[in-house]
Amino acid sequence: MTRRDANPTPAVRHPVRQRPVQQTLSLAPANDALPRRLPPSRAVHADALWLCLYLPALPLEAARRPADAGEANIPYAVFEEQQGVRQILMATPAAEAAGVHAGLPVNAALALVPGLLLAERDGARERRQLETLAAWAERYTSFVVSEPPATLLLEIAASLRLFNGLRALRRQIVTALAARGHRAQPAIAPTPLAATWLARAGSRRCLVDAARLNSALAGLPLDCLDWPARLHSTLRGMGVACVGDLLRLPRAGFARRFGADRLLALDRALGRAPDPRRHFRAPPRFCENCDLDAEQSDSELLLGACEHLLTRLEHFLRTRQLAAQRLHFRFFHRHEPATPLTLGCLQAGQNSARWLELLRLRLEALALPAPVIAIRLCAGDEEGNGHCQPFVADTAGLALAGGERASAPATRLVERLAARIGEAAVHGVDTVAEHRPEYAWQARHAPEELPQCRAATAPLPGGQAALPHGTLGRAQRLLLRRPLWMLERPEALACRGQRPCYRGVLTFAAGPERIETGWWDADGIARDYYVVRNPDGCYLWIFKNRGGDRGWYLHGMFG
Amino acid sequence: MNEALENLLQSPRLWRGQAQGNAWQGLPTGYPRLDEHLPGGGWPRRSLTEILLTHYGSGELKLLMPALAMLSRPRPAQDTADGAEAGWLAWVAPPFQPYPPALLQWGIDLARVLIVRPRAQRDALWAAEQALTSGNCAAVLLWSDAQDLTASRRLQLAAEQGGSWAIAFRPVQARGEPSAAALRLELKTGARGTDIHILKNRGGRPAAVHGVIHDYASLPGN
Repeated sequence: MTRRDANPTPAVRHPVRQRPVQQTLSLAPANDALPRRLPPSRAVHADALWLCLYLPALPLEAARRPADAGEANIPYAVFEEQQGVRQILMATPAAEAAGVHAGLPVNAALALVPGLLLAERDGARERRQLETLAAWAERYTSFVVSEPPATLLLEIAASLRLFNGLRALRRQIVTALAARGHRAQPAIAPTPLAATWLARAGSRRCLVDAARLNSALAGLPLDCLDWPARLHSTLRGMGVACVGDLLRLPRAGFARRFGADRLLALDRALGRAPDPRRHFRAPPRFCENCDLDAEQSDSELLLGACEHLLTRLEHFLRTRQLAAQRLHFRFFHRHEPATPLTLGCLQAGQNSARWLELLRLRLEALALPAPVIAIRLCAGDEEGNGHCQPFVADTAGLALAGGERASAPATRLVERLAARIGEAAVHGVDTVAEHRPEYAWQARHAPEELPQCRAATAPLPGGQAALPHGTLGRAQRLLLRRPLWMLERPEALACRGQRPCYRGVLTFAAGPERIETGWWDADGIARDYYVVRNPDGCYLWIFKNRGGDRGWYLHGMFG
Repeated sequence: MNEALENLLQSPRLWRGQAQGNAWQGLPTGYPRLDEHLPGGGWPRRSLTEILLTHYGSGELKLLMPALAMLSRPRPAQDTADGAEAGWLAWVAPPFQPYPPALLQWGIDLARVLIVRPRAQRDALWAAEQALTSGNCAAVLLWSDAQDLTASRRLQLAAEQGGSWAIAFRPVQARGEPSAAALRLELKTGARGTDIHILKNRGGRPAAVHGVIHDYASLPGN
C-alpha cells in the first residue's frame, strides 16, 4: 500500500502531477547501453500506478449498433479503403471461423460468407465511443487519459483502497466494460507507456514494482510499440526482435539512427523520464443521437430507443453529479423536418425511469408526421448553450417525523399531469395585494413556486385577515365577502326597466362596495359592486360601471 | 372477535344499517344539521361524493368549504390518527375561476390548491384519477359532463386506493343514472336557502335537509 492510498475518494483531483519537463538527451549519459547503469530516475512519481485498457476490437464495436451487441455469433466485419481497395479490417469470431480475416478484399470475404454484414470503419464514431468510455471511466479514478485510437489510461494508485485492491478493481473495470460490449486487454504498470505496451502485447500483467520494469518489458515483441512499420523492419534487420534487444543498443547511436523521440519513449516506459499526460476532460453537456435500424413509427419501439438514450443520460449526469430539468428530443424523419419534443420537470433530476414515464405520456399524444429514422437527445438548452445544473439530492424523504410532508411524490403528480395536458393547464394560485378583483390573484406556473408550504399570505382587500371569523364583526365580513366563483371576464347583464336580470330579476342583498382604482394604467376601473340574489336562490356578485357604458355586469358567484 | 370479521365490519363498503353505521369517522361538514344525517358524522373520506345541481353557484362550494379548509391545513397530531394530513386540493376542470381571495376567506391554504384545466373531457377524468391515486391529494374536485357508471366506479376505486376524497359535480339530469358514489346529494336552491336532498347514502338513509345554506355569506356555526 502506498502513501496516497489513505485518500478514500477517487473524485478528488490530484494537485500538480508530472509537470511537463522538457526532456533532453543531454540529461542522459552517452555512450552507454540503455538499461542497467542508469540510476532510477526521480522524475517519475514513484507511487503512480497506471491501468491501461487497450480495446483491440474498437472499430468493430463502434460500428455495431447497440441493438445487436449481444449477438456475438453473427458474421460481421468492418472494412477500410486502402489504396483504392476495400479491405477487411476486423471481423467477428463467427466471420473469422468462416475464413474472413484482416486484409482480405471485401469481395473475397463476401464470396466466402454471403450473409456477411459489412460496415465501413468510422473513425469519428470510434473517437466518440472512446470519449464516452473515458467519461465512464472517471467513476474509477480522477485521472483518465484518452489515447486515440483505442487506448484508455487510468491512474489508479489513489483508487485502490476504495475499490478493494488492485485485482478487484481490474476485474470490476473489465467486467463492466464487457457489459458495455467492449473487450479490453488490461495491464498495470508504474509508467503509462509500459502499461500501454504490456496491454498491447496482451499480457495481463499486474506490475507494481518500478524496479522490475526492465525485466517485464524486455520480453515484449516490437509490435506492441506501435512504431512505424518501416522502423520495425529496420530493427528486425538488425536482429532486434524484442524490447530487451532494443535496450541493449547504445544510447547515442540509437538516438542518432532512430531519433531522439524513440529514445525518449524508451526512457519514459522505463520510468527514467517523466511522462506528462493530459487529463481527459468530459464534455459538459449531453447531446447524443440514436440511429434506428429502420424507419419506425411504433411508439413502443421509439420508447425503447429513447430509453437507451435516457440511460446514457443518467450515466452522464450521475458521473458528473449533475441534474437536468429540461430534455429536448428531436425525432428525425427522412423527408419531413424533425419533430421536436421538450420534456420538463419540476425538480431537476437524474433518474431515467422518471423521464421515461413522462415521455410515455407525451409520445402517446404526439402526432409524428412520418416514420422516425433517428432520435437526438439534448439535456439543458436546445441551442446547447445551457448546461445541466448541479445535482441536489432529494432530502424531502428524510424530513423528521412531524415535519413538512415529503414533496417529491407531489411534484411527480404535477409533472405527470403537465406532461399529458400541458404545462400551462396545471397551476397553483396565490393572492396579490390589489383592489381590482381581476388583479387580486395570480396563477403560479413557475415550477419552483408550486409545491409545499408558503410563509406569508398577501393581504386581502380591506385588510381582512384570512380567518378566524369570530374576531370580525358580521357586517364587515358581509361587506368584504368575495365570491368563490369568478368569471374570466365580466358578463353583461340584460336589464328589465332599471333592474338587472340574470335568470330572472335580481334582488339586492348587499352593497354597494365601490372600487375605483387603477387610473394609472389602461385597466382602471370605477365600479359599484353589489351582492344580489336571483329567483333561483343563487347569490351573485355584480357591478355597475360608473363610467363608460354605465352597464350592469356579472362578475362572480358566491357558489 | 375474528380478525377477518373485524376487518369486514370496518369496511365502508359494508351496509350495516344506521344503528351500527358509525364504524368509521367522517369528515365534519361544518354544517351540524347535515352531519346528523351522514354516517360517521360527516363526509365519507376515501370515497366518491356526487353533488347534483341545476346551476353552478347554488351553494355547492360553500357546502364544501369548511371541510376543504380543514383538509388544507395541517392538524394537531392527535387528529391525524386516521391518516388524515394536510394534502393538496385538486380542482379538475372547474367551470369558472375559483377566486383565491375568497378561498382564503374561507380558511383554505392557497399553497395547497392545484388547478388543473384539461382541454378534453377524457383528460379531465384521467387527471382526476391520477390525482386520486397519487395519494398526495386530500380532495379532488371534478367537474365533468362525461361521467357515467364506469367513470364513477373508477373514481370510487381510485379514491379508495389513494385515500383521498373525490367530489364530482354533475347536472341534476343525472339523478336517474346509476352511480358507484358512496354519497349522492342534490342541491336545490329555494327562497329559504339551499336544500340538500341526500339521494344515496351508504351506511345511512336518504333524507332531505332544508335550508342548510341560507345566506351568501353564511359561515359555519352562524
